[in-house]
Amino acid sequence: MKRKVEHPEPSARELSGPRYWRSLDELVETPGFQDKLAREFPDGAADLNGVDRRNFFKLMAASFALGGMGLATGCRRPEANILPYGKSVEGVIPGVPQYYATSFPLRGAAVPLLAETHQGRPTKVEGNPTYAPYGGASLMLAQASVLDLYDPDRATTHTLDGTASTPIAMRDKLAAINSAAVATGGAGLAILAETSSSPSRARLVKSLQKKLPKAIWAEYDAVIDTPPATAARAAFGKNVKPLYRFAKAKRIVAIDADFFHAESGALGYARDFAKGRRVIKANDPMNRLYAVESTFTLTGSMADHRLRLASSHMLAFAAALLAKLSGQSSVARLAQGLEFKDQEKWIEACAKDLVEHKGECLVVAGAHQPAQVHALSYAINAFLGNIGSTIDFVEMPQSNVATLVDLAAVAKAGTVSTLVVLGGNPAYNAPADLDFAGVAGAVSEVVRYGYYVDETSALAGTHIAATHYLESWGDARTADGTVVPVQPMILPLFDGLTELEVVARLAGSDTIDPYSIVFDTVTKLAGGNAQDAFRKFLHDGLLDGSIYPIASVNYDQAGASALFAVAPSYKALNKDSLEVRFVIDHKIDDGRFANNGWLQECPDPITKISWDNAILVSPRLGRELGIEPGGAAIQVARKELAEYPQGKENAFIGEVTVNAATVRGPLHIQPGLSDWTMVLPLGYGRKVSGRVGQDAGFDYYPARSSQQSEFATGATITLTGERYYLANQQEHWSMEGRDLVREANKEEFDSNPNFVDSFGIESHAPANLGKDKDMPLAAAAAEIPRGNSLYKTPEFDGVHQWGMSIDLNTCIGCNACVVACQAENNIPIVGKEQVLRGREMHWIRLDRYYSDGKIDAAAFGGEGNKEIPEDPQASLMPVACMHCELAPCEIVCPVNATVHDEEGLNVMAYNRCIGTRYCANNCPYKVRRFNFFDWNDRSLDQLYMGPLGEKGMPELVKMAKNPEVTVRMRGVMEKCTYCVQRIQQAKIEQKVKARDSDNVVVPDGTIKTACQQVCPVDAIEFGNIKDPESKVSKAKAREQDYALLGYLNIRPRTTYLGKLRNSNPHMPDYDDLPLSRIEYNTKNHPSHGDDHGSGHGEAPHGETHGEEHGHAEEPSDGHTSIMKNALRTGGLS
Amino acid sequence: MSNIFPKSANQLPLQIILFLVVFGGIVTAATTYYATPKYTRIGYAPVQPVPFSHAKHNGELGIDCRYCHSTVEKAGHAAVPTAQTCMNCHSQVKNQSSLLAPVRASYESGDPVEWVRVHQAPDYVYFDHSVHVNRGVSCVECHGQVNEMEVVTHTKPLSMGFCLDCHRNPAPNLRDPKLVTQLDWEHPGGKEGQIADGEKFVHDWNINPPQSCSGCHR
Repeated sequence: MKRKVEHPEPSARELSGPRYWRSLDELVETPGFQDKLAREFPDGAADLNGVDRRNFFKLMAASFALGGMGLATGCRRPEANILPYGKSVEGVIPGVPQYYATSFPLRGAAVPLLAETHQGRPTKVEGNPTYAPYGGASLMLAQASVLDLYDPDRATTHTLDGTASTPIAMRDKLAAINSAAVATGGAGLAILAETSSSPSRARLVKSLQKKLPKAIWAEYDAVIDTPPATAARAAFGKNVKPLYRFAKAKRIVAIDADFFHAESGALGYARDFAKGRRVIKANDPMNRLYAVESTFTLTGSMADHRLRLASSHMLAFAAALLAKLSGQSSVARLAQGLEFKDQEKWIEACAKDLVEHKGECLVVAGAHQPAQVHALSYAINAFLGNIGSTIDFVEMPQSNVATLVDLAAVAKAGTVSTLVVLGGNPAYNAPADLDFAGVAGAVSEVVRYGYYVDETSALAGTHIAATHYLESWGDARTADGTVVPVQPMILPLFDGLTELEVVARLAGSDTIDPYSIVFDTVTKLAGGNAQDAFRKFLHDGLLDGSIYPIASVNYDQAGASALFAVAPSYKALNKDSLEVRFVIDHKIDDGRFANNGWLQECPDPITKISWDNAILVSPRLGRELGIEPGGAAIQVARKELAEYPQGKENAFIGEVTVNAATVRGPLHIQPGLSDWTMVLPLGYGRKVSGRVGQDAGFDYYPARSSQQSEFATGATITLTGERYYLANQQEHWSMEGRDLVREANKEEFDSNPNFVDSFGIESHAPANLGKDKDMPLAAAAAEIPRGNSLYKTPEFDGVHQWGMSIDLNTCIGCNACVVACQAENNIPIVGKEQVLRGREMHWIRLDRYYSDGKIDAAAFGGEGNKEIPEDPQASLMPVACMHCELAPCEIVCPVNATVHDEEGLNVMAYNRCIGTRYCANNCPYKVRRFNFFDWNDRSLDQLYMGPLGEKGMPELVKMAKNPEVTVRMRGVMEKCTYCVQRIQQAKIEQKVKARDSDNVVVPDGTIKTACQQVCPVDAIEFGNIKDPESKVSKAKAREQDYALLGYLNIRPRTTYLGKLRNSNPHMPDYDDLPLSRIEYNTKNHPSHGDDHGSGHGEAPHGETHGEEHGHAEEPSDGHTSIMKNALRTGGLS
Repeated sequence: MSNIFPKSANQLPLQIILFLVVFGGIVTAATTYYATPKYTRIGYAPVQPVPFSHAKHNGELGIDCRYCHSTVEKAGHAAVPTAQTCMNCHSQVKNQSSLLAPVRASYESGDPVEWVRVHQAPDYVYFDHSVHVNRGVSCVECHGQVNEMEVVTHTKPLSMGFCLDCHRNPAPNLRDPKLVTQLDWEHPGGKEGQIADGEKFVHDWNINPPQSCSGCHR
């Protein structure tokens, strides 16, 4: 029953006056409104949210009943769904990853890869082992490229005149450009692309040039990684490029060549170099590397003899070497003025060594060096008979493209109406004198095709979003010419267009589908049945026999001489006329990877600076500038390179003026630099980039000119007085005369292959720490004392016992393992602010030590310690969790969160960890990493926001995670697991195979840890040390095997193979011991410090050694404090 | 001054302690009983979008587990079948049934049927089906007599203790891998026969189930 309310009729005044209405319904007097008026409350307003009293009691009764059932419903996890496919997908088994062949294209050379996909989601890439020259290794950059695919800051939409647009509009746009160009024969159209090795693109470009003959196709790359073609053309009269065969070379001279990193195909070069470097046993052959360089590269750190020389003096050096070798006086004039310490002796000894190895030596010039230097190196190689043995020349297709210089000239003349920028970022990295902004301004329409919205996009009206290589169909060539596929793993996430489609549309081709384009190109190259050939191509990940043909070449004296007809360019340098060397950054390349957090956080392999690019200056120049840090720290034996208040490198900001431009940046004093060379790493200081790359570091591109783009002279530097914090991940740089990296010269190794045990504290310790450290596990479990501890020695009774061996002699320190580990194990980045606090999360790091042999005997305060080394040897050492058998971290954990498993892994149970950090405190290797924040759940600017901050990982970033590894939360410790997920997966697969048999032992070689798999030089072996035939057991059985800090009796499962240096006794800088050993001896045997050979260096006396010194009540031969202290505190007994 | 507290207050501390002990005991007992997977999980039988009966398909019709859960021997996941698998038969049988409408819709559109998850290991547990079924652990050990279930019900706790019980003493739960999907199978020799055979398998097949963290947590 509803009560009807009778309203009084409106009065006359009400009806005639202004009418007020509350809603349109009232105004027009709808029947619904009339009804509403008649009610006291709107219908249902008295009900409890649509539930009346009756229903309310019904509901409550039900919930009481449920409540009465106890906690069953309340504690249950939220309901989860299982979502199977509607239709089964061929080959897809949920939870089992699939691998497809693809490749990572970078400039003129690609790296063949296998991409791991989890139900269509690529998460990790590995090298493709089918491509023999790289043997399954890959690059740091390739490893990190997966993160770029899921970068939330990539161009997610096409843009037309500043507004978001569609792929269809972009396709129309390209068609319009083409039809406009067809009308004029291409006049007015210019295309600026990056270099590419793609045969399909080359084919399309050819067709474009044919159809639109007046169009300009120009190519530009910010860095040069292939030797100049002009040199080869002059020297051999052919369009050829050199391929170096380092594996065959016994003597190598690198003239400013960083062939581990900066050269095209460096991965293969590093791999080949390691083949000649690896020494299994005494008297095995080992190559010898002479490095002449201005900056300190990884190549230089591996060198047996390293000469610091300015880049602009390399021409003189090469000429002097050739003159010495061949006696040619014609080139000697180019060497005029060359001057360095012991010059005559150096060149003579080096030349003699080369002559003694005719046909099996190699002289390599850096790609950035001018054509004359390359021609000289070809002449030297020709003279030494290396051509055809250690250096091959392959015929390259004649390219017919314009340069950026040509394009800029034409565009400024006003004859270009449409400029299409295909990839690259010229607005950021073109030489300053070309004024790319001006070029773009002179063109009426700029269309930009790119992966990021960047500096160049800002100049363009149209931005076409590019696809990632893991989203594209394409093809590429490796450095030796092998054609490899670029296969998409996933549909374009943001409707991007592939490069081939864009070029095809510009060229007005009939086929615009990139798959068909690649199919046509490859099947034409392959011949035979097209379908079969293409399937094989995709399966293998390469096209057999597509390698560049090797050309037969003859050195053409006359042709080369024409090139040498230049005035000698030697110009002495000094502090007022410095040299500037622009180098490609080790991590973010020419700036293209600036928004990649993994690469930004990865430290530079030599300077160990992350998130920044400092201007490197030599210690000498640092002294001249007065920026050497004052006052030696008392507690360390050496003065630090710079001031490190609370672990932060407090750098001075300097301004470098060169090429009439001034750039500023923080100064980092880098030992080993040529005195008057400053090194400016490129790629940082991006103005328009994503959240990661924006404003990180400093931009040195403005100091480059098109004439002096690689190095320039006549530079000056001034200090600004400002300071700047650099996130340097390794503050300390000296081994303090300790025995961390154990090195020997090759001769010492040949006579005493067990040199690693004849020095270091182990040489004084019980035999189980030194010689007998490889005793059988069963014996170790029973016999090894664990101090006076109550803890039991583990029984090592698992089916497998995992162990690792790292060969320091082949490790080049390239950091690929760091990034591969990050990709495999879901390791977060922490940002520059947190790296400054020392909170980086990398599970593996590379320690870099310098030694100059001048450590003072008095160790603390002697003269030798006050000098920053100008001419050091660097020793690099990868350090990750060692999985100690008697792990110190385990005994201090109050909650058993870190324990041993039966197969020798030191495991972390994240759920148990309460974050006391005692374990990290007790770890002698400092390899444990703590999650100070929820790195995964918060963006870097939200870390300190507490409950107010935004939480949650972007969906896109979630896709990059490895589903086989836990994503760790705040407050837990983590560390290297030996890739436990790979171990478990392999064990499961083996058990599945075994079924009802007992064959459960995983065959050797099945498991590769992420660091091992990526390693370009195969320095890491991992496997079952219980199996004496496994590769790792064999590596550990080698004489040069030693444990880092082995004297602690914690029995690390990761051991190292000692580093060797193959010094030439005739060289002026020869020492009969590596410099780190000299420091070791000086510190530990001060009484006979300069008598290196005596004491521990000598051949087979290891056996008696322990006794000799172990009993000594008062070591008479001057063994100093460490030993005495150790004996006094009982640390060794 | 002396009369502030009545005499009975002398008992108060004891009473409080007694109360705390009893109360604490009840809370502890309740937690150990009610807040464990044994209590919270067992009996969970959510309503599924399609009232699929394992009793009918497996128990009555005798369709092997692996016909639908085809990945169980190859992968960590024993994948729930695609709609296409259902349609293999149901395109002929009961192809007009309204109960099967979600399956037909999924087959047409490709959108998944939203099955409700019954057995779920936490995210930090990397359980692998393939290694268990291939080494002779039957489905029934963890999932119960699914062949008799009209509605799939959680019958075992699947807690870490449950896993470890078996990993520490696998013999009672091992059988010939050929028999793992025969959920009704019992050892003809009874309990002793099972243990004797189980111990033989443990020895002959080198069964060595992991008992450390690394076995399941990565």
